[in-house]
Amino acid sequence: MTVTEDMNSQAGAERQDTQVPRQPAPADPSRVALKTSRRDFLKSGGMLSLSSLMGTAALMTESDDAQAAIEWAEHFQKNYRLMTPEEKAEARARLERRYSEEYGKKVTVDTTEAQPGVLMGYALNIRKCIGCRRCVHACVAENNQSRGRNRPGEKIEWIQVLRMERGKFEAEKMNHGYPEGLGIQVGGNAYTPVGQVLEGQYHYTPDLVPEKDATYMPIACMQCEKPPCVKVCPVRTTYREPDGVVVIDYNWCIGCRMCMGACPYWARRLNVTNPVLPKEEMNPVTHYLGNRPRMRGVVEKCHWCLQRTRHGRYPACVEACPVGARKFGNLLDPNSEVSLILARKNVFRLKAELNTFPKFFYFYD
Amino acid sequence: MKKLAITALILAASGGVLFAVSAAEKSGAPAQEPAAQAQQAAPSEGKPAESAAPQEVVCFESRKGASEVTQREISPGWPNVKCSPTTGAALWYGDPFDGTVPMGKMPGLENIPEGHALVKPRSQKLAILPMCATACHNGVGPQFTPPTLPKDKKPTPIPTMEGLLPELKEFQHGRGRIWCLDCHHTTQRNKLVDNFGDPIDFDQSQLLCGKCHGDKLRDWRDGIHGKRIGEWASDGKKRWFLCTECHNPHNVQQGERNRGFAQLQPEPPPQTPKGMQGMKHELVHPVAH
Ligand code: SF4
Ligand code: SF4
Repeated sequence: MTVTEDMNSQAGAERQDTQVPRQPAPADPSRVALKTSRRDFLKSGGMLSLSSLMGTAALMTESDDAQAAIEWAEHFQKNYRLMTPEEKAEARARLERRYSEEYGKKVTVDTTEAQPGVLMGYALNIRKCIGCRRCVHACVAENNQSRGRNRPGEKIEWIQVLRMERGKFEAEKMNHGYPEGLGIQVGGNAYTPVGQVLEGQYHYTPDLVPEKDATYMPIACMQCEKPPCVKVCPVRTTYREPDGVVVIDYNWCIGCRMCMGACPYWARRLNVTNPVLPKEEMNPVTHYLGNRPRMRGVVEKCHWCLQRTRHGRYPACVEACPVGARKFGNLLDPNSEVSLILARKNVFRLKAELNTFPKFFYFYD
Repeated sequence: MKKLAITALILAASGGVLFAVSAAEKSGAPAQEPAAQAQQAAPSEGKPAESAAPQEVVCFESRKGASEVTQREISPGWPNVKCSPTTGAALWYGDPFDGTVPMGKMPGLENIPEGHALVKPRSQKLAILPMCATACHNGVGPQFTPPTLPKDKKPTPIPTMEGLLPELKEFQHGRGRIWCLDCHHTTQRNKLVDNFGDPIDFDQSQLLCGKCHGDKLRDWRDGIHGKRIGEWASDGKKRWFLCTECHNPHNVQQGERNRGFAQLQPEPPPQTPKGMQGMKHELVHPVAH
């Protein structure tokens, strides 16, 4: 069964249970996410004219069932960029109320805007990374990704750490005419291939890292200056914030996955299933455009921990990296760590030929 | 009404089981242990909870054995640190400045406001440091009886430096071009030594390491080399990790691996994508395309 079929069958199941009367909050943490996806809702409402829908929405917001009112209000809220400050405050209060109830703790939804004069940038020392994956798991702990383990697509990680062999030139191989597995080249190849396509190993499981002959390359969203994912989004729910971070308004995402196809860095993830987010592991400090809990059927990705970085803190992956390979700072500040790295070190960007102009720089000493 | 009550009961029970499972997972026990714990816990349920003494969770930061942090709640549901259930490494900081002190005088830091450069003092945590200059290297020789020595009169081997610090057997720093007293003070063994022969505190190891690794010291001072946590602004408040929090000075190169950082156990890999059971092509070394 393909992922799409899988989704549809679930969507069918979901649609059924929207028809039965509302049940008390389910105990299974995987069910606490929004019950109907925006797409299902729009589908089922397709018969009605928009005006009558709006009328119903107004009615529902005044109904006694607080939960239902919240859901209705969420379905009819504007794209985040078009909201007035009052509407933002309203949406924020609504979400805080819902999340606090769902996760049994005080959840805050931050709406802090970008600071003027800040363009966030990231640098990673590719020689230092030891492939320990602590950044990956710190990211999951911070950003409320789905933690499931039973069904495919249930566990979501934004950072991927790629393991590559170290290649070398060897005298003995000077006269190897047809290098094994490398195609049609004739006339010698003293070179041992390294993971030159970014298709290396993500599932390596040695006892100890770093391994002797391996290099590790973590990748996540590069926060492109010319992001192809933004270009292709049909509902304009993903966009570049003034401080340079590309974000997603989850409420407006229709899960069409155009951005996933457009992103050359495999940075985006779709919530195929209902996200599994256990109450006690949920991080209650969230940002509207950042790590607030997602629903099924929306795309998410790294956003440089907006809930932390907009308040001055380093992203979680920077703080977790045991070797200090990860650096974060303001590209417009000549004294920041990233600016000094750009001035002083050997820097490259991944797939620079695609003109996406990432603000994520790899460097080495 | 009855139906509702039953449903609620079932919900509560399944919720309890779920919670128990996830709690066991969180404590980092291997796969078999949750069951064992449950069995142990089951008979004692009636008794007063004497076994429920909260266990201290200590996770190591950069490298095992170098610096550690004890888990505690800063506010309800908000821990100062989260530890990895698989490796015990610190994965997430709720309080990046836990247990720090202002960094001492360091040339080149004049522009950093007082209290913005923080370090975590390690000297109290170094197991044998308090004994170095009181027990053995006090110019008199061993006089007191370390607690490890037996009380009877049978002859016993005295632990040597190598016995106390097993990694000294692998000592490779500078590949034989330096030895103990290039770093440790001759008469004050609780101190390190600078090029003038003056003592350096163990919590200021960068002053010692920078004697040889000047380029790395410059990068470290500018935030390019080494780890920092806290605030990202260039004038923000940061905790700086000192050289020896990441590198083991007595075993920097780890044999032929030679990359300056201790090998450690990695965190688990991502979920296997659908339809890629076994992932044989992924796990084969070297990389198969
Ligand atoms: S890396 Fe991918 S998801 Fe991130 S901004 Fe670029 S195209 Fe978009
Ligand atoms: S935490 Fe640091 S060293 Fe470990 S995989 Fe991530 S970037 Fe590499």
